[in-house]
Amino acid sequence: MVTSAPTSIRLPSPPSVDVREKRFANFLLRDATLGYLFLAPALLVIVGLVAYPFANAIVMTFQEKTAGAPGRFIGLANYRELLANEAFLRTVFNTAVYTGFGVGLKFFFGLSMALVLNQERRWNNLFRSFLLIPWAIPTVISALNWRWIYDDASGLINNVLVRLNLVEETISWLSDPNLAMISVIVVVIWQGTPFFTMSFLAGLQAIPKELYEAAEIDGASVVQQFRYITLPRLQPIFITAIMLSAILTSASIQFVYILTNGGPADRTQIFPTLAYNLALGGAQRLGMGATVSLFFFPLLVVLIIFLTRRMLRERED
Amino acid sequence: MAMSMTMQRRAVKGVGNIWLLIMVLWTAIPFYWMVATSLKYDREIYGFDATLFPQQPTLANYATIFYDTPYLLFLRNSIIVAVGSTLLSMIIACLGAYAIARLKFPGRALLARGLVFTYLVPTSLLFIPMFAMMSALHLTDTLHGLTIAYLGFDVPFCTWLLMGYFYSIPVELEEAGLVDGCNRVGVLLRIVLPLALPALVVVTFFSFTHAWNEFLYAHVFTSSDRVRTITTGLANFVTEDVFFWGPLMASTVVSALPPVLMFLLLQRWVVQGLTLGGVKG
Repeated sequence: MVTSAPTSIRLPSPPSVDVREKRFANFLLRDATLGYLFLAPALLVIVGLVAYPFANAIVMTFQEKTAGAPGRFIGLANYRELLANEAFLRTVFNTAVYTGFGVGLKFFFGLSMALVLNQERRWNNLFRSFLLIPWAIPTVISALNWRWIYDDASGLINNVLVRLNLVEETISWLSDPNLAMISVIVVVIWQGTPFFTMSFLAGLQAIPKELYEAAEIDGASVVQQFRYITLPRLQPIFITAIMLSAILTSASIQFVYILTNGGPADRTQIFPTLAYNLALGGAQRLGMGATVSLFFFPLLVVLIIFLTRRMLRERED
Repeated sequence: MAMSMTMQRRAVKGVGNIWLLIMVLWTAIPFYWMVATSLKYDREIYGFDATLFPQQPTLANYATIFYDTPYLLFLRNSIIVAVGSTLLSMIIACLGAYAIARLKFPGRALLARGLVFTYLVPTSLLFIPMFAMMSALHLTDTLHGLTIAYLGFDVPFCTWLLMGYFYSIPVELEEAGLVDGCNRVGVLLRIVLPLALPALVVVTFFSFTHAWNEFLYAHVFTSSDRVRTITTGLANFVTEDVFFWGPLMASTVVSALPPVLMFLLLQRWVVQGLTLGGVKG
């Protein structure tokens, strides 16, 4: 049934309070208003806890500043001092070694673990859960646990070595200048491999089985299948995982801080620990610490921008 | 000479099984040592009589950490900070993610980009100015200060994860709600959030474990046991040269349990969320 349109014409009258309230409510519920309103708290957090401190860090690199006192502008003196400092140059080298070997080996172990877990096998789910546990453990806990494993006198490794008569004297894993870095990287690998395993396993499971079946019919060997199907298919995940891990590995302080605190003789000093020690370990040179943190920030920015792009693009696909 | 396909498969399987065994041992041995040490008396831990397997298992170390150290206090602080920052970041992230995923307004693409960028900036770049800022605001050495500081990572990360899930909810459902007289807030509360429940679980897991595991901020912003969380509390045991590995290992076992149990329980969802966002690599 069709009802006829109302015929009476009302004269425009000034909006009543009721109407005005409604308009205000409409304004509030408009997409744009509501959007900014909903985002306001998140924006406040980002600006207050990331953007502002970050800008502040840049300012600090040009300052001589101690905690509680206002900074004094000193131009590029912090940068100049660092470049002339041997401990800093060693730190640059260490960070490159630490990150390069750490990420590279995590990648290798993670990929091999993912390939193995992608095979069909009884109890596979159980193995997978178990192998991923180091990822869920607080990093500090792993670091403490390994510090005890490496212990000079009674740690697990020395305990076993002595028992098997493999060494005459116990080995100082964390205080021997030639061994300290390797020992720390081993812990980084132990904790960080599962992240790669998880990422790669998800990628492997997304490869259609038909591809392998077709390749097999064409007579491709297992190695060829890996080379021409698996690797190219995983490549995007490789790049994302490696970049993410490079950022997080080079920036994480826990392992070095707890295992060696940069020693012996700066042999394991990396950017985060050097920054921490300069800014908060005694001398309280905040400006100097900030300069260390930010010295390679340009490099990091390139990584982060690249990664941001990739992650947004992956999201859209 | 090329092997037959069956032989190749068998070889790959064999190598796989051996490698799996090695990886399982490599993962298990540190756990074993942690648990074994926590169950030993000192005489089995140090010196010539040190053992590989506890001969006389004891829970004495667990009693020590609960009665003779501030460990229980650290545990309480960790729970307060983790629960607080999780709740706050959840509310802020839900609102923000919904706005970016569904509401049309200028600048939202830029904001989405900004979010990823923000959570990728490592805290080791920010802790020095953050320390100066927190000191100036008298927020150091307080639990609420630490809770707020954690939002700097949690909010961008959770917003980013939730955004992805919100996009995947069919927009028709919301339109139906809007036609039926729900407003945006009603739609968010009654339609979107219930559908995004798995995502909310994952986000809870990530922000809770982040606060539970975080070390740098906790270490820099606190200076008294009263407000120390587990990570900085335990690290302090060692740096103060109070080497008592039995109780220390007992406390690492207890501290690792909550995140590990949560992970095992929520594994499927967590792995999915991780491949979307990626943390702690």
